[in-house]
Amino acid sequence: MRRNMLLYSAIVMAVALSFTFSVPAGASETYQLGLSLAITGPTSDAGNPYSKGVEDYIRFANDTKILGNGKIDCPIRDDMYETAITKRNFEDFLDQGMVFFLSYATGANQALAQDFNEVQIPVIPASMDKSLMEASPYIFLPIASYSHQYVSVAEYVAANHKGDTAKVAAFIHPSAFGRAPLADFQAAVAAGLKLELVEVVEHGKDLDNSALLQRLAGKGVQYVLCQTVQSPVATLLNDAQRLGMTAKTFGEPGKITFMGAHYTGGNDLIALAGTAAEGFHWTTSYRVTSEKGPWTDWQMEMAKKYARDEKTANSHNYACGIMAAQVTVEAIRRTREGGKKITRATLYETLNQMNGDKAFESLVAVGPVTYSATDRMGVDNVQLYVVKEGRFRAVGEPFKPKYMK
Amino acid sequence: MSANRFFATGNFFTNYRQEQRIFRTHLDRAFFVAFLGSLFAWPLFFDVGNRTMLVANNILIAVVAVYGLNLVTGFAGLISIGHAAFVGVGAYTVAGLARFLGESHALIVHWWPLMILASGGMGAIFGAFVGLPAMRLKHLYLAIATLSFQMIFSWAIQFMTTFNQGQMIPVGRVIWMGGQVGRKEHYLFWYYVILIVAVVCGMAVRNLLRSRYGRCLVAVRDNDRAADAMGMHPGLTKIYAFTLAGFFAGVAGALHAYMFRGAGFESFTLHHSITYLAMAIVGGLGTLPGSLLGPAAIYALELQVEHMSEWSGTFLPDSFNLATALRPLGFGLMIVLFLMFEPRGMANWWRICRSYVKLWPFRY
Repeated sequence: MRRNMLLYSAIVMAVALSFTFSVPAGASETYQLGLSLAITGPTSDAGNPYSKGVEDYIRFANDTKILGNGKIDCPIRDDMYETAITKRNFEDFLDQGMVFFLSYATGANQALAQDFNEVQIPVIPASMDKSLMEASPYIFLPIASYSHQYVSVAEYVAANHKGDTAKVAAFIHPSAFGRAPLADFQAAVAAGLKLELVEVVEHGKDLDNSALLQRLAGKGVQYVLCQTVQSPVATLLNDAQRLGMTAKTFGEPGKITFMGAHYTGGNDLIALAGTAAEGFHWTTSYRVTSEKGPWTDWQMEMAKKYARDEKTANSHNYACGIMAAQVTVEAIRRTREGGKKITRATLYETLNQMNGDKAFESLVAVGPVTYSATDRMGVDNVQLYVVKEGRFRAVGEPFKPKYMK
Repeated sequence: MSANRFFATGNFFTNYRQEQRIFRTHLDRAFFVAFLGSLFAWPLFFDVGNRTMLVANNILIAVVAVYGLNLVTGFAGLISIGHAAFVGVGAYTVAGLARFLGESHALIVHWWPLMILASGGMGAIFGAFVGLPAMRLKHLYLAIATLSFQMIFSWAIQFMTTFNQGQMIPVGRVIWMGGQVGRKEHYLFWYYVILIVAVVCGMAVRNLLRSRYGRCLVAVRDNDRAADAMGMHPGLTKIYAFTLAGFFAGVAGALHAYMFRGAGFESFTLHHSITYLAMAIVGGLGTLPGSLLGPAAIYALELQVEHMSEWSGTFLPDSFNLATALRPLGFGLMIVLFLMFEPRGMANWWRICRSYVKLWPFRY
């Protein structure tokens, strides 16, 4: 009898032990994300480093076990800037059980906004178009919108221009991407921003802007505010330098000071425009690696760890990708810590609570990421930079535009 | 035995009526019915995801568009490099009305079959208008005229606030049998709608080509002066070819708008026009099977190139960036190879296969 008891006890213990080893406390879980963006085709110069940023941070999160025994699987698909392919990728990711979507272009996000609403999935796009926040409550902009950035530049001119009301020209992309921030700028002027908008230029694919620059100078334009991508700005800057029109310092009388928002600047602009980029003022909500600090070391270490080249490592688009992934991972981490199951709904809820003392600090951004049910723009601050000796240097402290609500 | 309508391999026609049959043999008909049946049945037997259905729907929409392009370029011999703009006209007919009336207006969501037809009609009107230069222009000059339509379309959509300056205009979910077609069944529902439209349009094209109007197109393509001498009006025939092409493109555009639940400018660019042309060339210009095979082949190529790019990224260094080159390289190479080695397109492979099966095992 006693022998049998011992035998039974041994069997029970063996079974219990086998369960102990086969099912670890807090079983490993994989969280499915998805990133669809333009790695090739139009705007891939921004999309490529962005994808590397996301990829590296997800790898970093998995390697350093930020989520404990939880893992993140984030397939990255090239959509070649085509909405139809983005939609296909999105549906594919949903079929795989995606709980958080990282997207890219304005057009694709607008096209998918209804789907986001229906499947109730939180989304972080690479586009900072203000209209996206109106299109879906599930879209969370990572940083200040294009409109906020553009109006910030304008406010800086109004505040720092010496003399009468400054005359400005808007140099914008011939699309809604260029026009929407202009409309907000015009609204700001109507609301009292002390600037005179002399001309709006929707650029084409001109290889020479001499006539345009002469015309603007003839109208007394002192500042050109750009809302487009880097290459047309580089052409404009090169032509202005050739004609001796570029202001060496901000607001230099008789010359033109060139300024722009997010996608007009970055190291690619310096690479394209060379010395003509000197004095170009640029706003973004990201830190740049030419301004040394702990964030630079962290970003560069990350790039080095995953064998990225120098161009990628120093790209602000790489930082954009890192931050999008950071916010996503942080939302998952907080949801897990709250003891909730990771679903689209719980992640959405966590993101909406990311404010006040729960705001998220990212090393690559100039301010905290805050979201709520009524605020879906992450970093509200913008930082002004100026090109000096071939590098972007910070001008003053990060600030918020007063004329944008 | 040889005149048996199931196994006939030779030409045993005794009148023109027999020669104009849609199916030469009963075997052809049986094969077609089986193929059609499998197209209708496969989503019911396989657990397919939305992604697969989306790809299938895209192929079928392209099939409808390429019917039109094949009519104007393949059968009538008029180069059109603005076909995506005609597709865009159809899509923006639905989307424009949705913007004006509201995305869930009864006309958009209840009367959607009518809207699809109306979009085709709008495409036909634009087609007829763009076809006007065809009365005086030929070859490359005509191609440039169609290109200019593509440019004007791009400009109009991107600048006019009516069309939301090219940004997405949403279209509501349609109503079917008293209920709204929800997200779950959206792609499957549209698969069947698009498939039915593609089959009906295909039959229409096949029948058109059996008629004097269809033969007019071919006659004008082969020699417009001879066609003129035979009593045909080459100018009107060309306009009529563009009108038909516009109609099919417009229908495809409306299907696109409904399936994607909206219209945005970036789906109707010059790049898409070139892609439609590539589909027609790879499939086989001037053939009906070509209109089916071309879109399927180009989409398959696109998917394979995507996979290859993704796979190459796992072992190639970043700086190599093969992915950027693969798509245009694969696309361009395929067109060049087809033009060099198989100018009659994949439809010719189909013809060869059929001839082989017909001859084997020596049924004569």
